[in-house]
Amino acid sequence: MSILGLGYSPWSSIFWLLAFVVVTIMAYFFRRHGQKGYKKDTAQTKIFLCGEEVPEAKQRHIRAHNVYWGFFETMKEYYDANIKAHTGIINDYIIWFIVLIAISAIILFIVGIV
Amino acid sequence: MANLITHSPILIIAIPLLAAFLTPLIDRVSKKARDILVIASLALAEFLVIILARDIYPNGLHIYTLGASSPDLTIPENYIVPVRIILEVDSMSIFMAIITATVSLAAAIYSLSFMKEETGQNRFYTLLLLLAAGMFGMELTGDLFNLFVFLEIASIAGAALTAFRTRFADAAEGGFKYIVVSSVAALMVLFAIGILYAQYNLLNIGALAHVMQYTMLDKIALALLVIAFMMKLAGVPLHMWCPDTYSVAPASITIMLVAASYACLYALFRTCFTLYGVCLNLVTVGWIVIIFGVLSMFIGVTMAVFQTDIKRLMAYHCISQTGYMLLGIGVGLAVLNQPEALSTYGIAAMDGGIFHIINNALYKGLLFLTAGALFQRTGTRDLNKMGGLAHKMKWTTIFYIIGALSISGIPPSNGFASKLLIYESVYRFNPILAIVAMITSILTLASFTKAFYSAFMGAELPEYQEVKEVPKSMIAGMAILAAGIIFFSLFPGLVVDRLAHPATAALISQGVYINGIMGGGG
Amino acid sequence: MTQGIPFNVPFLAVAAMIGIAFYIIISQRNLIKLVMGLSILASGANLFLITLGYREGGVAPIYTYTPAGIMVLPVPQALTLTSIVIAVACLALMLSMVIHIYRHTGSTDSEKSRIMKG
Repeated sequence: MSILGLGYSPWSSIFWLLAFVVVTIMAYFFRRHGQKGYKKDTAQTKIFLCGEEVPEAKQRHIRAHNVYWGFFETMKEYYDANIKAHTGIINDYIIWFIVLIAISAIILFIVGIV
Repeated sequence: MANLITHSPILIIAIPLLAAFLTPLIDRVSKKARDILVIASLALAEFLVIILARDIYPNGLHIYTLGASSPDLTIPENYIVPVRIILEVDSMSIFMAIITATVSLAAAIYSLSFMKEETGQNRFYTLLLLLAAGMFGMELTGDLFNLFVFLEIASIAGAALTAFRTRFADAAEGGFKYIVVSSVAALMVLFAIGILYAQYNLLNIGALAHVMQYTMLDKIALALLVIAFMMKLAGVPLHMWCPDTYSVAPASITIMLVAASYACLYALFRTCFTLYGVCLNLVTVGWIVIIFGVLSMFIGVTMAVFQTDIKRLMAYHCISQTGYMLLGIGVGLAVLNQPEALSTYGIAAMDGGIFHIINNALYKGLLFLTAGALFQRTGTRDLNKMGGLAHKMKWTTIFYIIGALSISGIPPSNGFASKLLIYESVYRFNPILAIVAMITSILTLASFTKAFYSAFMGAELPEYQEVKEVPKSMIAGMAILAAGIIFFSLFPGLVVDRLAHPATAALISQGVYINGIMGGGG
Repeated sequence: MTQGIPFNVPFLAVAAMIGIAFYIIISQRNLIKLVMGLSILASGANLFLITLGYREGGVAPIYTYTPAGIMVLPVPQALTLTSIVIAVACLALMLSMVIHIYRHTGSTDSEKSRIMKG
């Protein structure tokens, strides 16, 4: 078995896959004891929204800029600062380069390490 | 066969170069012949890389002196320093060459269908072969100025390929940003090479490492080299060109640009470990690399969750995964002269970082190719407009799931194996770094789930009713990378022992590299 | 050749060229001027390579009918030729891309012609 070992936490994906297969077989046997059969293409397979009218697919699908809204609201200051920093102007990309050269000059000459 | 192995370093560079110059000629005869030439030359380069790798891992490094009477005559009679261009291939170089060869072959096979409607395809394939030759040259050479020349070849070819589809307005902008950033970085590398030559009169990496005294001018050259290579491999804060360029390039070219940035990562490690080696203040330089890595990881992934353009999202992830590699190898660099820490967790951190390079090339390549497939069929990269595509594009969905699980580090994928190595060893170095790495992994999973939901899940949308699956050659290109991912996921121990660990050992042993040059020949 | 001129003047010229070039690249919004700044940067790096090869009182490094004495270093001159060729290729590529940007967006200003940001 191909085992990735650090001496204190060996990892082998083959054992993991075997465990996954065993659990899947158990889950399959549990599921077989459940309810059998449903009628396809009747109201049993349609979306149910507590009796409300279901909007069509184009309006139902949440668009990408609305996903994770809460996360972005929470980190609004961080994201505003970051989006402002990523301007897209080519001159700013080289300004960052000069800033890093200046910081390395400070570390080399003034602080004196390296 | 033994002759082929001896001459393979130069053949690996020369065959794509020669095929690049033959492509416009053969294209006049027939288009099919041109396609066969491109695929055959890249397949031959991959074959040569594999047989050279099988010779290097048992037998040690491989020297090839250009223009000498025998390939290992590095120092001719009555000379005390090497004077010719010398290709020095050790386990780390051939590891990167394996990545380049596989990614180039997958990109070429994918391009056969992806670029079918474009005009000027002979120029496209010429530039693709030149980009591959440039990357091979960067990885196999042992000479600093040769590294600069191949760096420029790869940059120019990559920028021209990025702006290839001139009918898109943002393609020219992405290509322009790439060539400006690459030019500035390469000119700073040239300046640093000039400083080193002025002091020691040598251009060869092994010979320079042999005579290096760590004067103030050498420190200035080190700073210039590190910052210039950091700009080329898109580490924060010099990463802003990366999403612009990777999102507008054709999908197969994006994966080759990713491989080119890993060739620059290799050049950075050659500089830190082999060119300067033990005369550095290892803790400081190691911590600088670690700080770049942590910044790249965190800023890359938080900006990635925000994006709505699928290839821009994946490009920001590229930046954050590069941070993982910098973190792992930076930890190894920081403990390089403490033998107890090195053997406990330093070598494991470097194994994880290096294993992550090949994992990332595979799964990032696969993800970019699926994004290209989505673009080909829907005509847009905007996630706000896509939805419900899993009903029609089943193979693309499967490959996307494989890639997304790998990049997020979900067991049993190879991404999990390399991230586990990095977490375990970096935790023993400093726990906070490992915690930042784990948070990054969670946010990576979050952003790929967002992209999966937006593009693939949901009910079928009316505007995508006629969308079909992508052509067979694109599926073949994706399948090559997916097969690599599945193989690496099933046998991670095998890959680390046979591929990543010899590369780590080669990076750490500066003496073996120097001996190959100074001790060889007449 | 440099009697009367201190030895360091070419190096000061290199520093001035690279400083001016970076100033142009940072501050000029017109893309053509940015490309000009890159060209000056390349020239500065090339001048640095040639200057570091100079040896006091040296002659041109040609072997036939050479007077006795030291020669200037020939290797940096070869490096400079390579670098000039590479800079020409980069320059041609950059200018053609600026033309495409102008055709698509109607402006050569680096802030007004950008499409991608964030």
